[in-house]
Amino acid sequence: MKPVLFAFVAALPLLAACGGENQRLVGNDEYGDWRQGRARNRPQGASAGIVVFGVDKDREAREAAASGGGTGLSVNAYLWRATLDTLSFMPLASADPFGGTIITDWYAPATANGERFRAQAYVLGRQLRSDGVRVQVFRQTLDRGQWVDSPVSPSTNSDLEDKVLARARELRSQSASR
Amino acid sequence: MRKILLGTTAVVGAALLAPAVAVAQEAPTVRIGGFFRAYYGNTQQSGRNSTTPSSLATNTSGATSNLNQQTTPGAQTTAIGATTTESAGNVARLSKNDFSTDAEVHVFVNGKTANGLSYGAVVEIAFNQQEGRNIVQQRASTGKTTASIDEMYAFVASPTFGQIRFGDEDGPVGGLMNSGVITNFGTGGIYGDRESFVTRQANVRTTTSPGGLGDNTKIIYLSPQFFGFDFGASFAFNYNEGEDTGCPSNQSSGFCDAAYAFTGASNFGIAAAGPNQSVRRNEYQAAVRWRGSLAGIGLAVTGGYVGAGAARELTLQGTQARLFNNLNVFQVGAQASAYGFTVGAQYEHGDANFFWGNTLRGDRPMDQFFTGASYTIGPVTIGGNYLIQTVEGGSRSSFSAAAANAGSSTGLVANPGTPGVGNGTNAALMRRIGWGVGGNYRLAPGLDIVAEYSSYTVAERGRDLDPSNPGIQDRNTAKVFILGTRLAF
Repeated sequence: MKPVLFAFVAALPLLAACGGENQRLVGNDEYGDWRQGRARNRPQGASAGIVVFGVDKDREAREAAASGGGTGLSVNAYLWRATLDTLSFMPLASADPFGGTIITDWYAPATANGERFRAQAYVLGRQLRSDGVRVQVFRQTLDRGQWVDSPVSPSTNSDLEDKVLARARELRSQSASR
Repeated sequence: MRKILLGTTAVVGAALLAPAVAVAQEAPTVRIGGFFRAYYGNTQQSGRNSTTPSSLATNTSGATSNLNQQTTPGAQTTAIGATTTESAGNVARLSKNDFSTDAEVHVFVNGKTANGLSYGAVVEIAFNQQEGRNIVQQRASTGKTTASIDEMYAFVASPTFGQIRFGDEDGPVGGLMNSGVITNFGTGGIYGDRESFVTRQANVRTTTSPGGLGDNTKIIYLSPQFFGFDFGASFAFNYNEGEDTGCPSNQSSGFCDAAYAFTGASNFGIAAAGPNQSVRRNEYQAAVRWRGSLAGIGLAVTGGYVGAGAARELTLQGTQARLFNNLNVFQVGAQASAYGFTVGAQYEHGDANFFWGNTLRGDRPMDQFFTGASYTIGPVTIGGNYLIQTVEGGSRSSFSAAAANAGSSTGLVANPGTPGVGNGTNAALMRRIGWGVGGNYRLAPGLDIVAEYSSYTVAERGRDLDPSNPGIQDRNTAKVFILGTRLAF
């Protein structure tokens, strides 16, 4: 009997590593807690009890889920990522995922002398829809050593918005096929 | 065995610590949880009497001696097999009614390293360590609600190599991976909180539940699940828990974790649970569990084994006697759940006495069958469970130092008891039969109202289980009704 048990015990961790795709970690809440007879139905494992020290990840996730996002963002995640991607060629000044605003710093393209741009983008809501993003581009030109505001061609803003929406659609289809 | 288990866990440990896929590191969190419960209980128990206090404090002897009662005022508890006279007086009934409160505060630490390893620790603070006091001095003993540690262990877990738990914790067979033990209603039915109301007379309270195997300090390996299977194994050097060796002087007792032989060992085949005095040594457990679903029915099946050696008795003359069998029990259990119903059953067989005690050599093995069912609908859960166990009764033999000193390897001599006379018994079969029905109603998350009725009977032909009353009472029953509330947080 004993040699069989020894062999069994020795083989346990080796066997455990062979599961591949069909393998997962057994959660701490899937083991019996013999005192559970008294404390039954309380959350077990990593989410047991009330956090007194540290960051309550579960609570963050719960609250995000309750507010409908489930991602920790309060705006549409695809639009948010797409806007960041689209404006990534400019230096970022600030990004607030809760307010949905992205503000870039001034950026002077290498090819355009005496001209610089800045953009502000607003992701407006949770839905992935064509009017869910607004982009505003500002332009300044160098006039006698002074940067002065100049008009932007009216199609620039909507072109950028179209780019954001196209990128968002791409991200959406990528995540759907996963 | 021990070397192999320690060796393999070391290998696994090394593998766990090896860098894996980068995962977001999580700073450790500290959480507080636990429960509080308060019950009213009504108990009807045969032999529920107060007699003159014996000179032994409760629990300074093994659980078998709870079956023996003081019959002569002032004298010690009578030995198994001794012929005794009935008590003449000094007997009064105990109240049937009582309130019982209990709470535990649990501290959970959880963290995750950058390579995906989760780790943490659990410390469970309990307030029920002291069951009662026999010492009459004021302030000379701790209060009944003194804090103590129920379980405390640390764990390291990896999705690839599973989990290692190290500390005072149940084993795979003793609570972690069992299937078929249906206790999710009331306070747990026959394995529930009924013990809080039953006195130890005739021992109609001690069951052989999975958790009864004990949370002695052990190292546990728990595998990941693959193809529905997971398995676990554990090893413990002895029955004790906590920090020190338990050997405050070189006059070692059974409390001394490291004692392979001690005087009085013959009394502790069945552990004295509170102070953790037991002859159990080198305990190993292994269990395999499968979980899955077939046609919408959730299934779980577990097979397990627990084995352990035993310390020897040491006579005053220095002779050592190997009088105990090894603990050697197989366990199988299965359960099925669908539409709110759960049914399950578990069977155990092997060398053990009740409460997972080591049997004396020559004693019969234990058989235990447990079955239960529960039904959950909305906030209400109802259920019932039943168990029947047969074990060695008043042992067919008892330890004799004289025999051991004279050269007997076990030191055991046949009991002189005559069936039907006093505590007299001779190789009788003890049956321990119990059932419980109950329910709980969820008032709010974590807050339950519970009600339960349970009955547990110890029966052994020819043995007087209630010597404080005239005649032979070869059957002892405790029936408990519980109504109360439980808050988990």
